[in-house]
Amino acid sequence: MAVEVVLPALGLTVEKGTILKWLKREGDIVTKGESLFEVETEKVTTEVESPASGILKKILIPEGIEVPILTVVAVITKQGESLPDKYDMMGIQKPQKKEEPVQIHIQEASFSMSSGPGEIKALPAARWLAKEEGVSLSLIKGSGPGRSILLKDVKSFLAKEAQRGPKILITPTARKLADKKGIPFTSIQGTGISGRVVKADVLEAEARFKLAETRPVPTSVKPSGLSKYKLGQIVPMSSIRKVIAKRMAQSKFTAPHVYFFNDVNMEKLLALREDVVTDLEEKEGIRISINDFFIKAVALSLKEYPILNSMVSGEEIRILPEINVGLAVAMENGLIVPAIPKADQLGLVEIARYRSDLVERAREARLTIEETERGTFTISSLAQFDITFFTAILNPPQSGILTVGKVEERPVVRGGQVMIQRMVRQGLSVDHRIIDGAVAAQFLQSLKKKLENPYSSFFSIC
Amino acid sequence: MRQLTFREAVVEALDIAMQRDPKIFLLGEDIGYYGGLFQATQGLMQKYGEDRVMDSPISESAILGAGIGSAIVGVHPIVEIMNVDFMPVCMDQLVNQAAKMRYMFGGQMKIPLVIRTTCGAGRGGAAHHAQAIHAVFMHFPGIKIVVPATPYDVKGLLFTAIEDENPVLFIEDKMMYNVKGEVPEGYYTVPFGQAVIRQKGKDVTIVATLRMVHKALTVAEEMEKEGIAIEVVDPRTLCPLDKDTIINSFKKTGKLVIVDEGNRVGNFGSEIASIIAEEAVEYIQAPILKVTAPHVPVPYSPVLEKEFYIPNEERIKKAVYRVLEFS
Repeated sequence: MAVEVVLPALGLTVEKGTILKWLKREGDIVTKGESLFEVETEKVTTEVESPASGILKKILIPEGIEVPILTVVAVITKQGESLPDKYDMMGIQKPQKKEEPVQIHIQEASFSMSSGPGEIKALPAARWLAKEEGVSLSLIKGSGPGRSILLKDVKSFLAKEAQRGPKILITPTARKLADKKGIPFTSIQGTGISGRVVKADVLEAEARFKLAETRPVPTSVKPSGLSKYKLGQIVPMSSIRKVIAKRMAQSKFTAPHVYFFNDVNMEKLLALREDVVTDLEEKEGIRISINDFFIKAVALSLKEYPILNSMVSGEEIRILPEINVGLAVAMENGLIVPAIPKADQLGLVEIARYRSDLVERAREARLTIEETERGTFTISSLAQFDITFFTAILNPPQSGILTVGKVEERPVVRGGQVMIQRMVRQGLSVDHRIIDGAVAAQFLQSLKKKLENPYSSFFSIC
Repeated sequence: MRQLTFREAVVEALDIAMQRDPKIFLLGEDIGYYGGLFQATQGLMQKYGEDRVMDSPISESAILGAGIGSAIVGVHPIVEIMNVDFMPVCMDQLVNQAAKMRYMFGGQMKIPLVIRTTCGAGRGGAAHHAQAIHAVFMHFPGIKIVVPATPYDVKGLLFTAIEDENPVLFIEDKMMYNVKGEVPEGYYTVPFGQAVIRQKGKDVTIVATLRMVHKALTVAEEMEKEGIAIEVVDPRTLCPLDKDTIINSFKKTGKLVIVDEGNRVGNFGSEIASIIAEEAVEYIQAPILKVTAPHVPVPYSPVLEKEFYIPNEERIKKAVYRVLEFS
């Protein structure tokens, strides 16, 4: 069978190459591993070895022509075998690419292993070998149960790769260094003899690699979307980002969301807070925030409408035994939702203590798994930003999430008069599979009532 | 070579040992006149007298306590706890005293104590007389644990146990007493901590203990006809454990099934799987499967005991096929 000779992928950023010189002529006998031609790229000049033994039947790309990598440049046939017809007309005018799209190969040569293979299922032995060889598992088709990648899949992939591309030449020192630095040497551009990867290449690759990485996270607690990213930069997802991405997609595509909004008159609540905040701060050493009132009000409303404090599990609706109200906390690199346990049974001061401690530790990334997983309902507030209202995606497996916009003065008509009142627009997203619109509306109404009548809601006089 | 049953091999080993060493004495329930529940001490009281083969009261703590005490003062007790199910009755004597004394007293004493006991389901013994709880003892440093699978091994390992200066828990599978096999005459030892490869193969490794070794061998023989080459490893002693033989076999096959009659959770096989995960992760080609008794008490119903509780050849085969899906 005829074997195609392609212009190999010669490095991370190399897309094209020029054939400088054919070292064999058409009709020559070639052996596998023997140098066939010299190629020049932006970075390097190197020799390319023959992928097979046989006759160099046809040269498709003559010297001096620049072609994209993976272009078929020649065909090798067995003794006595004639050139397959399809190659007859082929030449410079329409360089044919191998079937694999070019992008895949570029990807392969990237440092994708460093960000972890994600959701790919592979047996440990397969994973190990792939890592050793610097091959991304995403390129390998799994033949095991559940399409898991087996050891033999990696082996056959490597065998195919070995046939296709030139063997990577690397000095022992460079190889050791690359191993130590965790840089797959298959992706390093060699500059030594015959494109051999030498120590300097590894160091250069490492420097490039470091540049491409996300900058170290500043310890500042103020989250900001500014200046973290550069245009054109490719940023591997951090592990927390991967979790967020997975959970958000899972939530949005599993639970049909439906949204409700109403406006809450905050005058009484703000007045109440202003009355007590200094006193409590002096006495209890904690500053009560508007959020604390929201947490408490939500907890009390959840007690009235337990269906909002539930999760879907198969064909069951599980009404959860505890009311643990989560608070979405923005961090430098994402978002986390620590929850205040049994908020329905806690006083405002206790809630404030919990809230302040959890938020502080969230920003220092010192929360326990328990604290982030126990939530049964979430509150997400963008009150500190200039946001009037917004919708939120459910925090799975929860069935409800409340959004809180900024407090703003608005003209309100009351008793035929226009007054200026401080208002908040709150929003509720629920899992429509189990929560009907009317129930959600009642819940939001109950919440509004509590917030607008804080004295009767939050203080029992006895 | 002459054939002996497993039981005869035990009796012969005890007999030879008692002849060689006058300091050896036996202590246990019904081991004297009656010759032992499984006749594994048959005729020894008649031969060596009541001073050296003693029937004890029904108190496992007393049996083991007396064994420990006499071992400390320089005799060589071989005590029998009728069923391994009764070991928990004297757990303190074993794990807090026997296992730790030499260590805690700075090596001032030796405890050359052998505790013989029996395990295994299949006789309708139910939840109190049929368990295979050998894995429990692996948790405690200071106890050697022997799990012989052939008449040859039981004799040779028993001699090694007697020679040992530390407490040895010697567990005999009661369903194997009538199994026959080649046993040399006279005195010979089988070393501790040396697993044996009962059958060579390149496709799947089975590590099996006690009677399960034979079930694994039956499966290996049957599957050989299908072109599947199973390697059967018998560890022979759980402590010391011959990790190297197991790991080397695994490196070759990349696939492992552990067959053990203990309950599923905290099984001997769990430890083996852990060793592989820690020391040979790069060789794991397939899920490591355990074929064990389920996590339930041994059922009294003979049907449940046979069909559902004791690991059988069918379940072993199923596990082998499952790991082979990954090749």
